[in-house]
This record gives sequence, structure tokens and C-alpha cells, in this order.
Amino acid sequence: MSKVMSTKEAISKFVNPGDFLFIGGYICRTPFAAIHEIIRQNKNNLTITRSNAADDFDMMIGAGLVKRFIGTFLSLGIYGLGRCYRRSMEKSIPHKIEVEEYTNLSLPMMLMAGAMGMPFVPVKDMVGTDLLNVRSFMGENKYKMIDSPFDGKPILLVPALTPDVAIIHVQQADEDGNAQMWGIGGDCRVGANAAGKVIVSCERIVSREIIGKDPSRTIVPSFKVVAVTEEPFGAHPGYTPGFYDVDFGYGYQYQQASNSVEGFDNFLKEWVFDIQDRKAYTQHYIQRFGYEMFRKLQAGFDYSYPVSYAY
Amino acid sequence: MTKHSNEYIKPELMACCGAREIRDNNVVIVGTGFPAMSANIAKHTHAPNCILMQESGVVDARPKRPALSVGDPCLNPGAAMVGNLLDIMGMFLQAGWVDIGFLSGSQVDKFGNINTTCIGNYENPKSRLPGSGGANPIGALAKKTLIIALHDKKHLAEKVDFITTPGYIDGSGSRERWGLPANTGPECIITNKAVLKFDKKTGETFLESYHPGNSVEDILENTPWELKVSGYVYETKPPTGEELRVLHEILDPHHMIAIYEKRGYV
Repeated sequence: MSKVMSTKEAISKFVNPGDFLFIGGYICRTPFAAIHEIIRQNKNNLTITRSNAADDFDMMIGAGLVKRFIGTFLSLGIYGLGRCYRRSMEKSIPHKIEVEEYTNLSLPMMLMAGAMGMPFVPVKDMVGTDLLNVRSFMGENKYKMIDSPFDGKPILLVPALTPDVAIIHVQQADEDGNAQMWGIGGDCRVGANAAGKVIVSCERIVSREIIGKDPSRTIVPSFKVVAVTEEPFGAHPGYTPGFYDVDFGYGYQYQQASNSVEGFDNFLKEWVFDIQDRKAYTQHYIQRFGYEMFRKLQAGFDYSYPVSYAY
Repeated sequence: MTKHSNEYIKPELMACCGAREIRDNNVVIVGTGFPAMSANIAKHTHAPNCILMQESGVVDARPKRPALSVGDPCLNPGAAMVGNLLDIMGMFLQAGWVDIGFLSGSQVDKFGNINTTCIGNYENPKSRLPGSGGANPIGALAKKTLIIALHDKKHLAEKVDFITTPGYIDGSGSRERWGLPANTGPECIITNKAVLKFDKKTGETFLESYHPGNSVEDILENTPWELKVSGYVYETKPPTGEELRVLHEILDPHHMIAIYEKRGYV
């Protein structure tokens, strides 16, 4: 059964205000087309999670859609601190979000536990630090410290996370939702599989037969997927290995714009609210920065030896 | 550009100090900037078989341009393995395979605890910083952690505002009491003025060496606690000709490391 639909339809149908969302990406394959659609549709009151959050989370926070953030880190990479995140935390603009702080070990472990149907998971980090002294909306359930029933030594337990919806961007998927990804993984695989529903945004839709030519690359099988959206250039200004490079120039523009509330609002107007969909976004990008710049971001070709699964 | 007598800048010296802590065959988690530079100097000089990895999932990358983040696209092609966060942070780091981790912090204290969460009170921060990311698990679980910091009373503190990443916590025996693995913890703090090492009995830093052009007095003056001085304190060895050649010809031909001078590493 084909689950192919527009991003507009997917977000409208499967993301509700108040949902708990996992949003994949690690500069690599950020599902920006879907994020812009969430902002356009004003799906607010959200709880969002991912290890190493970046400009996409900053933008959702600035747009006022985020109530809670289960995170480890949020920055604009080489462009420094997340401006909207700071304004939220330091000045309550547009409002102060509630943050539960973990790490790039414990958070993916919690998503793994969620994906595996485990209630919690032991981790070896976080102990001895102030990360254990701050609790927000998860309260006593942020973590538990116990003596291990096996060797009696203290061990930290952190709870499983089971987001309502995961939104990921991958290189290719078939129309049923078998999603294939390559390159830096971040916590995309566990995050997607921890969620009750997965929205797969992809650079290209391929046939089931193509999926079967290299099935080891599938990170989410179709039965977990509720929607497939084809969004070429859908991760920009992040990158997609084999398709296009990260756009540092645009990253700088976002930093400059988001330095002030007014600049941020203008940025959203230009790149989100006045834009209908990713196709219009790409056209606007080319008009604004020139085809040469767009062309420059496109990846070259450097193929592996063909893979064979024959027996 | 502040050139020193034999044509190096402070960030290059600091990168070399880091490189010298790496042994051949070490497994090293690096970020970007001069931790990556440090590890690559080691790899191109005395530690050709060390393996560098990025927390995002990459092992033994062969980037054709300097990576600007641990998720940079240039880390993908040519790597020995591209996996995910759990591969690196779980399978390798938590399972005890990582020898060296590099960290920097907005605030570092005398026990090597690092703050990357907030300046001021947590609930109403003066400055909200990015948070732990991979820093906490690296500081908790790598056998040796090398810390990079600016040497002044703002960036060094007797006690950090928030312990994001554990050093020796409250000092002697704290890591063990919290159940952190044996034989892990900070190895040194490399600043723009000095190398501080740790007294493993007390968990406190002491002055190991002062960089050329920096005096012990100047260092004590700019340290916000009573810094102990090693009985054998010496001048940091400047970069060797070979280290500089590797830096200038192979690793950093465009001299990108100079941006750290603008950030105060002089």
C-alpha cells in the first residue's frame, strides 16, 4: 500500500499539537522540509528530542512551538550558541521551555530501550555531576540510582523514551516506507524505531526491487511507517551524503538573522511562512543565491564497488 | 598573528601538547578544531597507528578538508567505519575501548570538572550554554581526558558553576565512590599559558610546565585558586620542526588554526 503523500498532508494527518516528537539528523539528513511544515501548521506544545540538536530545534523553539526538550546539547555548530534557545532560557522569549538534560550516551540508550520495548536501561555516565542534580518535568523519573542486583555496585538507570512520532530524512525509500540511509547515523535508527509512528522524508522514492538490491541499508521497515514524502534537497541547510553538501553560508545567515527576535521573524517569513513547500523553497534559494551556489552544493559521484547479496 | 621565535602560534603549541599525550595504537575520540589537529599531529609523527573517531559514528576518517563539526560530510567518504552514536559512545566508549578523549569547556575547575551547561544559576542562567553533548560520557569513561581551556580567572574556576562533565569531582576517591570505571579521568589541562597535570592522589591540578614566554608568576596570577607548582616545573617544549611541517604542509595549509588566536589563545 502506497503511503506516499505531500509533507503538508503527512504533518497535518500524523502530527498533533502536544505530541512527543523524535526528529532525526546530525547536521546529516535533518528533515527540514517537515520542520518548516510543522512551523507553518503551528503544531505547538511539542516535546522534542534528539542527541546533539542544532539549527532545526533552535528554529522550532524560536517559533514558539516547543514546550519541552529532552536533550543533550543545542548549538549552531561553528556559528556558536543557539540564539533562540538562549533567548528562551535566559529571557523567556517567546517563552521558557522546560529542558531535561541527558548526554550523547544516555539519550541514545534511552531511545534504544524504547525501540527494544525495554522499560529502562543502565548507563555508566552522568554520575557525580550536576546532570543528576537538575530535574525538570520528568521529576523522579529522570533517572534512578540503584545498587546493581548482580554485583552490588551503584548503577544509574535511565527510562526508555517512546516518542509519538519520529520524523526522519533519508536518501531513499519505497512507497510503503522501507527507508534506506547511509552516512553518519547519529541516533536516527534507534530514534525512529522507538516511536509509535514514523514519517519518512526522502531524497527519492525507489521501487521495492531497488530496496531489495541492498537491504542491509534499511533502517526502518515499512510496517512502522505511516507516511513517505519525497523531498529532494529536503535536509538543506544540512546535508545528505551522496546528494548535497552542508551549506555553511546559509548557516551564517541563520545565525545573523536569529541574533534578534525581529531578524528571526523576518527569516521565518522569508523561508517558511511565505514559502508553500520545499519545491518553492528550492526555487527561492536559487533566486536568492543563484544557480551557481545551488549547483556548488550538489555532491559529486564516488561510487562503491557494487554490493552483491547473491548466493 | 603572534609569531613565536621559531614561527609558531600558541594554538599550534597547544595542539602539539595534546599530540604528545597520544601513544601509538591509542583509540582517540576527537571533536573538531585543535583536538582534531592534535590527534592528527600524533598520527603523522610518533603515533601512526592511533585510531581517531568522532562520536557521531565515524572511525578512522580520511577527510579531504578540515571537518568543521563531528557530523561534517567530509568525514564520510574514506572512513573505515561509519556507524552511529551508540556504536561510538556505547560499544566503544562505554565498553572501555577508548584511550583518549579531548574536551574543552567554558569553565574548568581545579579538579578538572568541566562546565558547558550554564554560567550563573541553572534555573535563571546568565548564559545558557549548549549542554553536555558527548562531553560527559567522554570525561566519565575515556581512560585519559585531555582538557583545553583558556587560562584566565573567567575560564578557570576553583569550582565550576555547573559540573557537566566529571573530572575528579570533589577530589580524592570521588570517581570511585560514584562508580566510574577505574583508571579513567582527566590527564591534563592544556591552556594558552601552561600545561597543568593532576595529582592522582588528591585529584587536584598542579603546574607541570609553562609555555615559552609565560612565567610561573603570570600563571599563578591568572589562576583563581592557589595552584600548586611541580618541584620539577619546566618550560613547555616548543613544537619541533617535524610537528610544524606536518601542521603547515599536511593538516592545516590554510592556517585555519589561527582563528583560535582571535578567541584568546595567545
